[in-house]
Amino acid sequence: MSTDSFKDLRTTTGSASGSSKPATPAPTARPRKGEVPRAAPGGSQPPGARRKGLSERNRPLWMLIPGGLLMVVIIVVPLLLGIYMAGLDLDQYTLRRWVSAPFIGVDNFVEALVSSPLLRSVWLSVSYSLIAMVVTLPLGIAAAVATQNAFKGRALIRSVFLIPYVLPSFVVATVWRTMFQPNGVVDSALGTIGIDAGLWLNGPQTYWTLILVQIWASWPFIYLLALSGLQSVDHEVHEASALDGALWWNKLRYVVFPYLKGPLSLAFLIGMLHHINNFTLPFVLFGVPAPADVEVLPILTYVTSFQSFRFGLSAAMAFVSLVLIAIPLFVYLRAVKLDDAETPGGKK
Amino acid sequence: MSATATPVRTASSQEFRPGSRRQHEVTRLLPGPLLAIILVFLCAVVLIPVAYIFLASVNSDIGVANGEFLPSSFSLENYTKIWSSVGLATGLANSVLVAGATAVVSAAMSVATAYVLVRYQFRGRLTILRGLLALQSVPGTLMVLPVFVLFSSAASYLGIQVIGTQWGLFVTYLTFAMPFSTWVMVTYLRGLPRELEEAARIDGASNVGVLVRIILPLSWPGIVVSGIFAFLLGWNDVLFASVMTRPESQTAAVALQVFGASQEGGAIPLYGQMMAASLVCAAPVVILYLIFQRYLVGGLTAGGVK
Repeated sequence: MSTDSFKDLRTTTGSASGSSKPATPAPTARPRKGEVPRAAPGGSQPPGARRKGLSERNRPLWMLIPGGLLMVVIIVVPLLLGIYMAGLDLDQYTLRRWVSAPFIGVDNFVEALVSSPLLRSVWLSVSYSLIAMVVTLPLGIAAAVATQNAFKGRALIRSVFLIPYVLPSFVVATVWRTMFQPNGVVDSALGTIGIDAGLWLNGPQTYWTLILVQIWASWPFIYLLALSGLQSVDHEVHEASALDGALWWNKLRYVVFPYLKGPLSLAFLIGMLHHINNFTLPFVLFGVPAPADVEVLPILTYVTSFQSFRFGLSAAMAFVSLVLIAIPLFVYLRAVKLDDAETPGGKK
Repeated sequence: MSATATPVRTASSQEFRPGSRRQHEVTRLLPGPLLAIILVFLCAVVLIPVAYIFLASVNSDIGVANGEFLPSSFSLENYTKIWSSVGLATGLANSVLVAGATAVVSAAMSVATAYVLVRYQFRGRLTILRGLLALQSVPGTLMVLPVFVLFSSAASYLGIQVIGTQWGLFVTYLTFAMPFSTWVMVTYLRGLPRELEEAARIDGASNVGVLVRIILPLSWPGIVVSGIFAFLLGWNDVLFASVMTRPESQTAAVALQVFGASQEGGAIPLYGQMMAASLVCAAPVVILYLIFQRYLVGGLTAGGVK
């Protein structure tokens, strides 16, 4: 199933108009069943006439209400509220009566951009996410390529590979925090080979500590998506390259890796979104107030709210992070094919 | 060219069952030694810290503080202490309650939502689908303050006390789990054949009847996956739980985080208890994953989100 959707993704990213075409809403309630099979490959759909009548008659749209209501009340309303709060002079005194807090327009944004560490945090967030991503990509690909072919114990190794990803972030952070203590197990291990690494949880090196732990925790995600890409490689392709006597690295480079482009671009986008949004890892790893070199956006926003009680300023910062997130998110939404609902015979 | 490939092939073909040997030779991607190096390296990278959690949890705090990997002393005492010292008994009970309720309700709601989204055409359907993906990426730090304010307002204007109770967390997790759970169900239901539903309709089943009698029994794997992801969201969250709970409604995640943070600046931190508590908090999640691994991996790559 997953591999199918990635095939779709690849074809969608290839033709940019593919995803935007079905996005135009149907002019009326007229079911579009009839035109969808055109996009879906293979004509195994029975004629849509009978089904059209069925779905038109009573569509249980009310089933969307509970979930929709919940999302509107708990996500959309607070989102708008948050944007509104970014324009308020809100602190611990005015929070109780936030409705009547003074509206100060863009002052919070000005303060956030001019006299707060926001821009530095943006830079830290983006650079740390990118570095972690760039390192996890080869790790994940190597793991996927190494476990693609069957061997004794492969199932076990695949389970092992998933462990870092499975462990809750707060556990990962607690454990690494213990290991990185001064004179802790990491220091004593490095000491035996004569390296004095210095402080991990304080000072400028914290930035690299965060990247290291993030890499440890997130490479299996790349591995999973790379694996799903590998599974879409046709057997004929293997046979063809074997017949040509291709060396293994040439085969990887020119035959196999092109198949990974789609899943890995997806993994890249989602991974970036995750890293930039990751609050738990730096929060538990370093505590608050965090060292200046790991004051990434989520931490800064949190500290501004719940340590400095500058709620309005924090809301403005959160808005900036939303804008930052919007960039990879937009690319992601463009790339994902939403509507393969009518693809016949999707397998699981 | 083939001269370099042949010895590798013969060396490693012993591992493979003879029947499928040729198959392997064709599809193999890496030479044996390199494959072994990668596997050993990655397994070590994963397993050494994981083993350390256990080893440190049975070690003495001084031993951990001195950087011992293999414990110099052995005691399971930490596992009996953490229930009250870390507050793990309350924490785990709250986590199970909140995350469990989130899982059940979110799975049920997402089936209904996904069913409508997959099987019916209506205006705004693609917008909803796109919205489901977009909402998964809304940063939690952006939401936590407005949600907090909203819940406080519910207390002051409507007289409903939400902050500090498990209800507040439940509603929050449920909402944040819905987009992903629904997306998982959407991808799952797409794979189900329509023929059974149509047969049921011809027999006179209503929409709800089709959902309950046909879709539900067929989509258990998908429901389990979407429920587990909702559970994990609640189990793993620190941000909302740290803001919206009191000590008596704390989840395990917050209990551990608070305990870890409170160890700073004292004498020797209680590392052993921290590691024991970490292991206990991680165990249910790891066990869930191992049991449902096959389904979960499919769900992960389908939705692409943890």
